[in-house]
Parts: sequence; structure tokens; C-alpha cells
Amino acid sequence: MSTITIALPSKGRIKEDTAGVFERAGLAISAVGNDRSYRGRIEGIDGVEIAYLSASEIARELASGTVDFGVTGEDLVREGMAGADGRVEFCARLGFGHADVVVAVPEIWLDVETMADLGDVAADFRARHGRRLAIATKYWRLTQQFFSSQHGIQLYRIVESLGATEGAPAAGQADIIVDITSTGSTLRANHLKILSDGVILKSEACLVRARKPAHEQDPRVARIVEAVRAAL
Amino acid sequence: MPLIDMPDFSTDLLAEFAARRTERVNTPVIQPAEPFLDMAGEDLRRRIFLTESETGANLCLRPEFTIPVCLRHIETATGTPKRYSYLGEVFRQRREGSHEFYQAGIEDLGDKDIASSDARAIGDATGILKALLPGRKLALTLGDQAVFEAVVKALGLPFGWQRRLIHAFGDMAHLEALLERLARPQPVAGLDPQIAGLIASDSEADLVAHIDRTMQETGYSTNASRSPVEIARRLKEKLELAETRLDGTALLLLREFLTLQLPLAEAPAALAGFADAAGLKLGAAVSRFDARLAALANAGADLSAMTYRAAFGRPLDYYTGLVFEVTEAGSSAVLAGGGRFDRLLTLLGAKEHIPAVGFSLWLDRIEAARASR
Repeated sequence: MSTITIALPSKGRIKEDTAGVFERAGLAISAVGNDRSYRGRIEGIDGVEIAYLSASEIARELASGTVDFGVTGEDLVREGMAGADGRVEFCARLGFGHADVVVAVPEIWLDVETMADLGDVAADFRARHGRRLAIATKYWRLTQQFFSSQHGIQLYRIVESLGATEGAPAAGQADIIVDITSTGSTLRANHLKILSDGVILKSEACLVRARKPAHEQDPRVARIVEAVRAAL
Repeated sequence: MPLIDMPDFSTDLLAEFAARRTERVNTPVIQPAEPFLDMAGEDLRRRIFLTESETGANLCLRPEFTIPVCLRHIETATGTPKRYSYLGEVFRQRREGSHEFYQAGIEDLGDKDIASSDARAIGDATGILKALLPGRKLALTLGDQAVFEAVVKALGLPFGWQRRLIHAFGDMAHLEALLERLARPQPVAGLDPQIAGLIASDSEADLVAHIDRTMQETGYSTNASRSPVEIARRLKEKLELAETRLDGTALLLLREFLTLQLPLAEAPAALAGFADAAGLKLGAAVSRFDARLAALANAGADLSAMTYRAAFGRPLDYYTGLVFEVTEAGSSAVLAGGGRFDRLLTLLGAKEHIPAVGFSLWLDRIEAARASR
């Protein structure tokens, strides 16, 4: 029987919360070697390996199928691969790591409250300003799907932003942003507001399974999923 | 330098281009990505192959020829009119088919006679396909953005609503959502009382001053793209547009227009009948439509194989009039697609207005069609 690999977050609050869920699920994790090792195993189930990785790497490994399970944010999984639902299964929503991916515009854009308003602004942005409406984000796939497919807005440009995205509009790097927020306080501090229909995704940490044919006959896979679900 | 994997009919194709008095041009395979993303929108990003130069410039593998050919025309400043042809590989991320395939086509730049250059583009596309697929029955679908624009204008909608509908033309789902809003207007709710007061007092200067002050205080002034005046005016316009209701008859007319689909030769009578029955004056757009049809008939085009579909358009802001697609009769695989893009060259930086019409041929699909018999 081949090894089942579960990728778990390697640091921070999400690491502790994940450990909590696994413990309640009766899937006690023991470190391989010393305590700071990035490998582990689950006591009582043979051939199940834990790999501690960063949250964004976990999404990537799920996409490539090099791990069987991963715990990471839904936002990272959906951003990291096209057609996510065909390639992975969201087995359980774990109730922590809540973050919404949202469209936010400067508060002072008094005329923009909805995506339809934004569509109007984007449509003649180039005629007025000599360039397309610029969106700062690290979520180009989610942005593109939401704007193009769901709201029929084609004419905008994405400016990749890997940090401090909320500052981009005031700094003139972009006009609006697509970013994650949990309480909205950073957005407010930067005088940005979320559009009324501008929530792209309500994300949280999930137990995610890479869809593989071998999983169907594997009792360990079903056992892990059931145990985690029962612990929630 | 013929590449060994070029379609075997390439020589015939180049002979067709030469006989049609075009100047063959080539463009680099590696192109700056910005013009494509700027013109076609971010949706293109997942369908092209992007890379970066050592200095961080966005580059892509040529996803099509129209933009590079137009950019080359602007750079070389060779004057108009010009008829360019191209044949080369393009690169796209596709679910089906190869990621690299050949495209060829003609771009007709600067001909001021719109009707005859439209007809020539259609004639060239169908003529070349007939030469490459002898004996096959072809079907052409034609749309015209200008006719839709005329219908929308004639309905007497406020300018802002006209702009919204025209912008959505070619995207039926988006268009339907807009019609729904016109049928059931939702007044804007939740406006800040202070702002509502400023608007009610009808003093634009006060509203602008308020926005300006807030932007200064919040540090949004220095790099603001949208000025206080722009925001104030659009807010006012938005409130007005939100009240606009299109009555049932007008909505029905618009929907009826969008469902029009009939043999091209019958389209002028149908459009005239529609305009009469609806009491709309479609004027210049319909006479230009008729002039194009006359030019097609003069050129000996087979009108019986052509269908007019009123809702057919491309939701990109540089298309202005004619769009068309050619398939084999009964098949859905588009062998040639084209249209008029009078706004593209100025968007790409041309100093003067250059009318343009062109089409591209999907050589891999043509090859498949040739092999299928």
C-alpha cells in the first residue's frame, strides 16, 4: 500500500488550530526525529505521513497531486488551480482561518457601491484616464473569474501585489484592490470600502483531498475524512 | 523559410494572398504582453503564454496577429491604405487542440470606403476558404454593432444607459442582466444623508468641495485617478439612471431585435419592417448595412449562404461595426472570423483615425476539414 501524505501548515495560528482538530479527531501526530522536524506521522495508522509546508505550498502540492491531503485556505486552493472542484475535494471546512476575498474601492468613490457601478467606471476609464482601471491583487485567477465571468467586466488590468495591497490605491499603484480581509479593519484604516456584492469568496481553512483514483479503495482515506468531520 | 510543419496548403494560401494584392508581413513571435491585455482584457491572461524579460517586462508568445500587425504599421509609419497579409504560428492555452497552431489572415487598414472594404474582407475570407476547401458548402454569420447602437439610441434611453447596453453587446448574459435592471429599476439606497443633502441642493461645487476635502484628509489626493468632479458627476448620473425605466413595449422591442436571425438578403427588409413597426428611426446605420449588402452583391458573393444574427457581436470596445464568422455548413468549427475594428489603431497609439477591417483563418481547423473527406 502506498504512503498517504497529509500536508499541514508549518507555522502560526493555523498550525496550532490544525493540530487541535487532528487531536480531537483522534489522529494524534508525532514528530519524526526531533520536535522541530518538518515530518511527522499519525499514530495508529500505518503508512500515513505528515509533511509540514507553508500554506501556499500546500495549495501547489495539492494541484500537482504530490500530496493526498492538505489543510490550507480555500482561497489559496482556488487561486492556485483552474477547475479546482474537478481536481480536489473540499472534505471539511475546519472553522478557523476565516478570511473573505473581497473587492474594495476607495471610500470616497461615493458613486461606486456595486460591481455594476464598477463596470460603468471601468467601461470608460481608458477614455478618461488614458489607461485601463488597475486592480492590485495577488488573486489574479479569482479576480479574473469574478470580474469577467460573473460580472461581464472585461476591461481592467491586474497589477500584481504581494503585500500591503491595501496601500496600493492611495499610493497610486492601482485604483482598487482585491484582497483578503477578516475584520475589515485594515481596509477601513486605508479608507477602502467593500462593494455590497463584492465578496468573491468566503474562505476558511479546509481539509482538502487531491482527487486520485487510488483513494477510492483505500480505507485510510475514508477513515481520515470521517475522523476529521466527526471532530468538528 | 518554409517550416516543415506548415500546413501543406500554405503555398496555395500565399498565392491567394498575393493575388489579392496584399503585402505579406511577419512579426516577432515574442511580443510585449501589455497591448494584448490592454485591448482584450485580463481574461486573455489565462489563455496566453506569459513570461518576463530579465528587466521585468511582461512578454508573451504571439497569441494572434491583428495587434502586432497594427503596431508594426504604426511604428513603420508607411501610410494608408495598406493591405497586409500574414501567415505564422500563434500560441494559446487551449483545452482542446494544440497550444501552437497556424493562423493566416488579411488586415485592411485605412480604406475609407467602409461598405466596399467590409464586402472585400468577407469576399476574401470566403473566396480563400472556397479555394482551400473546393466543393464544400460554407455558412457565414454576420452581425453589426452599429445597427444595435442605432436601435438603442432610437429607443431614447439616457446616454449612460445607451453606453451600458452598447458595452455589453455580444455578451448575452450581461445584456440580459441590464435589461432586467431596466425593467425593474431599483432606486439607490443607503446614501449618506450629508451627501444626499448636497445632491438635493443641486450644487455641484459644494459636492465637489466635500469630496476634495475628504480626499485631502485621507491622503487620496496626490495619486487620485478619479477626480472629485468625475466622482460627483457620475454619482449624479447614477442616481438619474437608477430611476430610468424602459416600458414594457420598448423592452419587448429590444428583445425582439436581439432574437432576429434570418437570411442576410432578407435582413434589410426585416430591419426596415422592425423600424417601422417600432416607430424607430435607424437612419444611417441601416443605410450603411444596406450599402454593405449591395457591395457584397456587386462583388458576386453568394448571399444565400449568409445569415444575419442581430445579437452577434464581440464585447470589446474596439469593434465598431461588422463582425462575421465562417464555418462549414452544419458544423460549429469556426474556420474564419473577422470584423471591423475602427477604434483599435488609435487605442494602440496611432495619431490619426485609421478605419480597419480584417479576418483570420484557423489553419488547423481548415486542415482538419480538408482531411475529413
